[in-house]
Order: sequence, then C-alpha cells, then structure tokens
Amino acid sequence: MNHIKHLLSKINVETIKIELMNTAYGERSTLMAKLDPRVAIIWYLMFAILPWFFWNNTILIGMLLYMIVLTAVSRISPLILFLLCFGILTEAGYIIFVSIFFGGDLTAALALMTFTMKLTIISLASIVIFTNMDPERFSDALLRFKVPETFCFGISYGYRMLPILIDEYQSIFQSFRLRGKYPESKGVLGWRYIYHICVTTVKAFYPMILNTAKRTRTTVEALEVKGFTYGMHNPKAKELKLSYLKTTKNDALFLSITCVVLFLIIYTGNTYPIERTVHQL
Amino acid sequence: MKDSIIQLNHVNFSYPFAKENVLNNVTLSVEQGEFLAVIGGNGSGKTTLCKTFNGLIPHYYNGQLSGEVNIYGEDTIETNVAMLSKQVGYVYQDFESQLVRPRVIDEVRFAPLNYGWTDYKKRGDEALDMLNLTHLKKEFIWQLSGGQKHLTALASVLSLQPEIIIVDEPVAQLDPVHALEIYETLKHLNQEYGKTIIVIEHHTEFIAEYADSVLLMENGTTKWKYPTFTAMQRTKELLSHNILPPPVTRLAEASDTSHKDAALPVTFDEAISFFNDRSFTAKGPTLNSVRSPERKPKELASFYGVKQGYKTVEKNYKWVFRNLTLSLYEGERIALVGGNGAGKSSLMKMLTGILRPALGDIVVDGMHASQTSPERMAESVTYIHQNPEEMFIDDNIRADIDYFSKARNLVDTESYAKQLCHMFSLHHLEDKDGRLLSGGQQRRASLAIGLGTRPSLLLLDEPTASLDINSREEMTRLLHELKGHVKTTVIATHDMELVAEWATRVIVLNEGEIEYDGDRRGLFSNHDLMRQCSLHPPQIVRLSEKLGVYPSALSIAEFLELMKRGESVYEPYQTPAFENQR
Repeated sequence: MNHIKHLLSKINVETIKIELMNTAYGERSTLMAKLDPRVAIIWYLMFAILPWFFWNNTILIGMLLYMIVLTAVSRISPLILFLLCFGILTEAGYIIFVSIFFGGDLTAALALMTFTMKLTIISLASIVIFTNMDPERFSDALLRFKVPETFCFGISYGYRMLPILIDEYQSIFQSFRLRGKYPESKGVLGWRYIYHICVTTVKAFYPMILNTAKRTRTTVEALEVKGFTYGMHNPKAKELKLSYLKTTKNDALFLSITCVVLFLIIYTGNTYPIERTVHQL
Repeated sequence: MKDSIIQLNHVNFSYPFAKENVLNNVTLSVEQGEFLAVIGGNGSGKTTLCKTFNGLIPHYYNGQLSGEVNIYGEDTIETNVAMLSKQVGYVYQDFESQLVRPRVIDEVRFAPLNYGWTDYKKRGDEALDMLNLTHLKKEFIWQLSGGQKHLTALASVLSLQPEIIIVDEPVAQLDPVHALEIYETLKHLNQEYGKTIIVIEHHTEFIAEYADSVLLMENGTTKWKYPTFTAMQRTKELLSHNILPPPVTRLAEASDTSHKDAALPVTFDEAISFFNDRSFTAKGPTLNSVRSPERKPKELASFYGVKQGYKTVEKNYKWVFRNLTLSLYEGERIALVGGNGAGKSSLMKMLTGILRPALGDIVVDGMHASQTSPERMAESVTYIHQNPEEMFIDDNIRADIDYFSKARNLVDTESYAKQLCHMFSLHHLEDKDGRLLSGGQQRRASLAIGLGTRPSLLLLDEPTASLDINSREEMTRLLHELKGHVKTTVIATHDMELVAEWATRVIVLNEGEIEYDGDRRGLFSNHDLMRQCSLHPPQIVRLSEKLGVYPSALSIAEFLELMKRGESVYEPYQTPAFENQR
C-alpha cells in the first residue's frame, strides 16, 4: 500500500509536463529518430491500418511481438508505458468481468481479446512514433505530404504552447484550491472528495481558455509581421523550409526490413493460424 | 538635417463603429538613426500610432485612415505588412505571445525563412550574435527567463534586418535589471548599427538616459516633439499627463528655489554635477544602536531547516533552499527581494501549503504545513499571483470575491464583499469579467479577491509590476491601508521604490540564502550587497551614494531635508523584526 502511495505521489502535473516535453523534444539517438519523418509516417500508417484486416491471432501476436521489440529499443518514458499498461489491463479486466457476469465463459473474453490486441498494436505504434519524432519534423513531413500549411503550423505551435498552458492550468487549479473548500465529510470511499477534485479539474479549464483566447491576438499579429502569411503563398519559402528532408539508404533499408518482417508474420500466420471459431447463430 | 524616414501628414484613424478618432491629425517626422520615446497617458494613441508605421494599420486593422504615412518615402497604403516588416520591426508589450517557435534558434530563423531567403540561417545567427544570445541558441523558449524572452523577441525582429525598431513598453514586464539590459542593447543597436529606435515608454528615468527625443501624445494627436533634455524640463506639463519626471529632476526642482531659470538635471550624471556645484554638507545622521526588544512579538509563520527544490527537464533536482530558517512576526510589512530564481515565489508558495518542502517544517498560524491541506491553510494565508488573470476563476469580480466565503457559508458574505468593493473602488466594476479590466483595475480586483479569504498573512507577488504611475501610487496607498485587515504582509518585488516607501523589514534572497534581513535603510546604504544580489537601487539612493551621503536618503523628501538642515530626521535604526512593538 505504501509502495503504491509512493508511486502515486510521483504522478503530479509537474512530472507529467516534464515527461511529455522530454518525450516530444528530447534528443534521441535511436534508429527510428534518425529516419526521415515521411518514412516514419508511412511506417506508422502501415501499422495503424493493417491490424484491422486480420482476424488471425497468429498474425496479430506476431505484430504485437514486433511492436514490443520496437518499443523496448525506443526507450519510452516509464510514465507513458505505465498509462498504456493501465489502460490495457483495465480494459481486459472489464471484458472478462462483463463476459462472466452475463453468463458467458472465457471463450467470449478470448474472442474480444483479439480486438484488444489490435488496439494495443496501434497504441504501441503511436507511442513509438510520438517518442521518436520531434513535432517540428512531424509537421514538416505533413507539409511535404501537401497537408495545408496552417494545420502543420498548428501542430508545432500547439506543442510549443503545451508547457505554458500546463503551467497556467496549474496556477488556476491552485487558485481554485486556495479559495475553495474540501467537503467536510469525505463520504463512502471518499467519493465526495473525489467528486470535488473532478469538478475543480474541469472548471479550471475555462479561465485558461479565456486567458489564452485573449493572448492570441498578439500572436496572430506577430505572425503577420513575421511574414507567415507571405511565406504561405510563397513556394520558394516552402521549398527552403523543407529542403532538409532527404531520404537516405537507411530509410529504404528500414522500409524493406519492415516489409520482410510483415511478410514473414503473415506467412507464418497463414501456415499456423489461430483463429476463433465463429459461432453459428 | 538628416533624412526623415518616417513621415506622417495629417493622419486620422478610427476603428469601425467608433465615433471618435484614435489618431487625430497627426503630423510627424522621424529621422534616420533617431532614438525616440513616445509618451502620453493611457488611451492617448501611442500604440495605434506605432502600428501605422509597420502597416498593421490600415492593412490588418480595418478602419478609416486618412492622410499619408510614408516609410522611406513609400506610402504604406501602396505596400503591405510583409514588405513593411522588412523595414520596421515591432516588439510587443506582451512579448511572450510574440514567440511562436519551440527553440530560440527556430524563432530567429522563422521570419527570414518565411521570406524564402536562402541565407536564413546566417541571418538568424547574426541576430543572435548582435544581442550576445548565441549561448541560448539551443534553449527552449519556455525555459528562458523574462529578460531572455524579451531579448529573443528582439532578436527575431532583428533577423529581418529592419532599419526601424519599435519596442512597446519594455520596462513594464521586466524587472529593473533586465530593463536596463534591454535599454543598453537598444542603445548599442542605435549607436553601432545606426538603427532607428522608437520606444513607447513612461519611465522617464530610462527616457532621460537613453532617448534623443521625446514625442508627447494626447487624445490621439501629437502635442509636441522635443529633444529629451528640453522635454524633461517641462515637469509640470509631464505631470499633468500622468508622467512622472525623473527623480533627480524632481529633486532638483524642489530644492532649487533660488535659481529659477537654471536648467534642471535630467540624467544621473547631470544630477551629480548639479548637486556637487550646490555646495552642501553631504552627511547623514549616525545610525542609532539597536534597541533591545521590550517584549517579544508574536510569531505568525516560521520555517525550520527547510530544504526545497524542483526537478529539471534533465530529471535531476535543483535545490532552491538548502537550509532555510526564518520567522515572520505579526505587524510586519516585509519586502522579499532578490534576482530572478532567488526563491521568492517558492518561499511564498511554501507558506500557502501548495509547495511542500522536501525536508524541514513550516508552521503558519499554529498549523504545520506538512499536515494541513492548502484549503485549510488558505483560511490564514492568501497568495496573490503576479499575473492577476490567474486569480479570476469566476465570471465576474464580485463572484470571485465571494468564492471563498460562499464555499464556507459565512454569514456576512454580502456585507464583507461590499466593504471590499468600496475599499478598492470596484463597486462599478462588480459584474465585469476580470480579464476585461485595465491593468490597474485588475490589480485592485486581485487584491480584493485575496482579502476576500480573510487572511492573517497576505502574500503578494510583484503587485506593482506593469502599472502606470497613477495605478502604482494608488496601489502603494492601498498597501498601506491593509493594516487593519491583515496581521502581516509579505511582498515579493523588484520595485525598489516600493521597498523604500513601504517596507518595515527587507529580506534579500540570493540563490536560496538569506543575504540580508533588516530594515530598508540598512539595505539601501549597503551598495555592494545590492549589486551582489542584482538589485537596482532607486535613483535617489544611487545619488546619495555618489555624493557620499551615508546612510542613504530613501526619498526625495528625505534628501531635501538633508540639504536644508545638513542632516536629516531619520527614524532610529532598529532590528526590523521587532519593529511591530512600536
């Protein structure tokens, strides 16, 4: 119990902020981080879409193992892994609970596990890409893919604003705490207390949004003055900005290895399939 | 005569649906290489005027513009904001919102990149080099200090190599040491690179030292433009526009009844020779010995061996306080001073219970901070944020003031809130959203909200930052009036004038250590200590030092007294912690 308390005390807004910013901008020397961001996006799309086309558990297990290996070599922040595991475990627990509660047995749960596995593969792929790709590079890759400029800029600007927004949120939340009051009695399992915290958490967003809206005027003006709109309609500026994006031999190698691995997984899966039997209605 | 690069002829401007013009028949010329200060009261059109220079008016703001605005001989109507930005750079008052990229290096390369200039890297590097910021290249914007952010905003403007640079109220959001740095930088740009500098400013101390000429605005029109020296002589006129002439000028004016026609000193150096010529015996009184306390005052809050720090992005701990032991007593007015990162805010947040020490104990009003929730502590302690916007958590001022009382179902909620609104003259603003008020009103409101929690210990973070002269004076008056409402007040501030006027005890923090804990005169007479802790003494104190007045005079009135009698009527020197027993 004390151990859990100690763990929980480590999760606070400050830690989350630091972990998030580290994940997004931290200097990385991993293989994935050195890839051209466009290749990384293509890789990600493959693993975000492909799992939906397979019901063969062998293939899914293969993909999952591949993902786990990639996750392991990507040195992902423990906090994010913890959140992911927490999500998967609660989901699996809830599936088992529901299937048994409604008179089913574990076969029903197993069937649903296929779905959970798909979600896990996609989540892991997202985390790997999120950890390994700087938002700046991500936004530039999107720009190369002809996504509208304002959207691409929005991504990199949104990231840059995150720590500032988190700090502001924290101060407003503190203002709520310093003027509010805990419920006198905490209620069964402290539900009143939990309810109070939840309500405050939501309420604290409003002042932050209003404050930010107010400040945006200067930002938009500043963008204008810095020639942002001008650059948007200037193909030369865009070319210059994206000139650093170059695919290398490594990128080609990475993509081919990925394809080989995928092929092997699918081949193995088709040879030794673990498929659930579809119950006739 | 040099060429005029900015030329306005009979310019009028009004925003859509507004009845009155914001700019009224403005005619103005600014020469190449000028360092111009634009002054004027609130709403006199200073910012609007400057926005016509870079084409934001009329290209970005819709409205009625008539007359002619010429920049380098080109009419701004004929061109656009992007083209004008290459000639005119603008640093906003809210400079943090001007920074749009994650790293310093990205920020300074952003603008040249938008113009598609292939040498954008070189231009960015050069801008950093001009301001000596190259060591910050790789830093993330959100980890910079306020001063560094301002310099970065300036560098990003410089990256387009504009000939004209406009800076909107640089001193407002910065502490005095950084403000000085910005002005030194602007001076450097002006003298070494021949840039034309325009500042919107109301701190005449800076104007007198740095600007060549001064433009006074009133009701959207230019009243006059004079060389700085001439402009600063018009003390009465400046005062009537809510602009306080430099302290040395006011001192000289008040002291010199015999030489009516003589020119008043404007800069610090002029003041030294001015007062050296008027022979007077610069000798202060001797410091009285410390009086032993007759009875021990009551402790209100204490730190016992507190160790506290924070985690950095590199995931190691940085200790702010290693072993802090300190007591605050009832009846004190404490000023907490020190450079950025000295630990002022951390110390105050620890008193509220929001920040917990890693080691040691804090006791406030009999409560141990480690065992009490911040909500409970808040019944004795109030912390007022530096940024008033973070205090506004409800829809209107009145609801914000009531928030604490209503959460606790206190019976006199109504009457107490009314009393506060009256005290802070907020009755006509009660139903307004705090965010929509002016700077001075926001400060008053945040103070009322703070007092709404009926604290014994009131903590204020920079209550006078970015206020104009009127609001600042009002704030100081209100701070003096708090006596009946709270037992002890602590103010963290860079505003040494406020310290000199208000504090009964000054605590100087430097990297988490208490460097000085005593009365204000003791601090202001110790010039080496002030410099060492990066504090910027008020002009009068610096003048005292130069003229050999020891201990220093703290205000104009004291200095005058000293000149009249040859010695002054200082209050006896006491240990400040026990001053409350008087």
